[in-house]
Amino acid sequence: MAGKRTMTLNLTEAEMTALEHLSTEKDMSKTAVLRQALRLYQVISTRMQTGERLFFEDDIAKEKKELVVL
Amino acid sequence: MDAALEDRHASCIVPATLIDRIGVAYAKLVDDLWLTFLTAEMAEAEAAGTPLVLPEHAHWRWTRKVEPTVHLLPYPTLAIECEGQPQGLMTLKTDGETARLPDEQGKPLVYVVFLASAPWNLPAVVARPRFRGVGTTLLRAAIETSLDLGFKGRIGLHSLPKAETFYARSGMTALGRDQKKENLEYFEMTSVQATAFIR
Repeated sequence: MAGKRTMTLNLTEAEMTALEHLSTEKDMSKTAVLRQALRLYQVISTRMQTGERLFFEDDIAKEKKELVVL
Repeated sequence: MDAALEDRHASCIVPATLIDRIGVAYAKLVDDLWLTFLTAEMAEAEAAGTPLVLPEHAHWRWTRKVEPTVHLLPYPTLAIECEGQPQGLMTLKTDGETARLPDEQGKPLVYVVFLASAPWNLPAVVARPRFRGVGTTLLRAAIETSLDLGFKGRIGLHSLPKAETFYARSGMTALGRDQKKENLEYFEMTSVQATAFIR
């Protein structure tokens, strides 16, 4: 795999708790969760730049809610 | 990254290089090389009165597959190169795919979207295929990508009919035909199977 670079990340207590929770839930290391989040953010951001929008759809309530991404 | 293939003409193992993300220019080169070779083989077979049965992926155009996602982290296309020529290509999807096997259900995996060997390596195309081990090397690369991303080696894919035996032989579990994917057989490799494969 491609060479890697290291960085220090400062998280609040709440952010670290959320990261630990996701790490356990997804059976992935904290680094793996953050790398996956970056991949997802890049795809969403790229698609939104081309005019696409992101929605959550509730099949039962037949509701669609737009997710606003910074 | 270093790899190796078996040169069937020379009956020896030769060094190869695994490229972990190709660009559009490389994909175009692959299309040009592979199509030119296939066209020549088809013409030769036609002239000999034994029309060629094309590989199931002969219609794939790598430029079209690579271009839309070339800058997106989750969708790399890898290549294995030997003697300066692309011997095989594989596109991965590393987001949004989860395991279906009961013991691993919901856990993330790397999905192999496309995997193909150069036509001169295929017994269905040429009487004396050149390199052996392209599929195995690329499958290993998919597992290593899965390990690198923290997915514990889990991979999944839908197999073209003629490749089913290869994936079954590689230790993957067949989970049946998937009507949502052109009725192709879906295969999955668990973390345990992946460990056994790369050992």
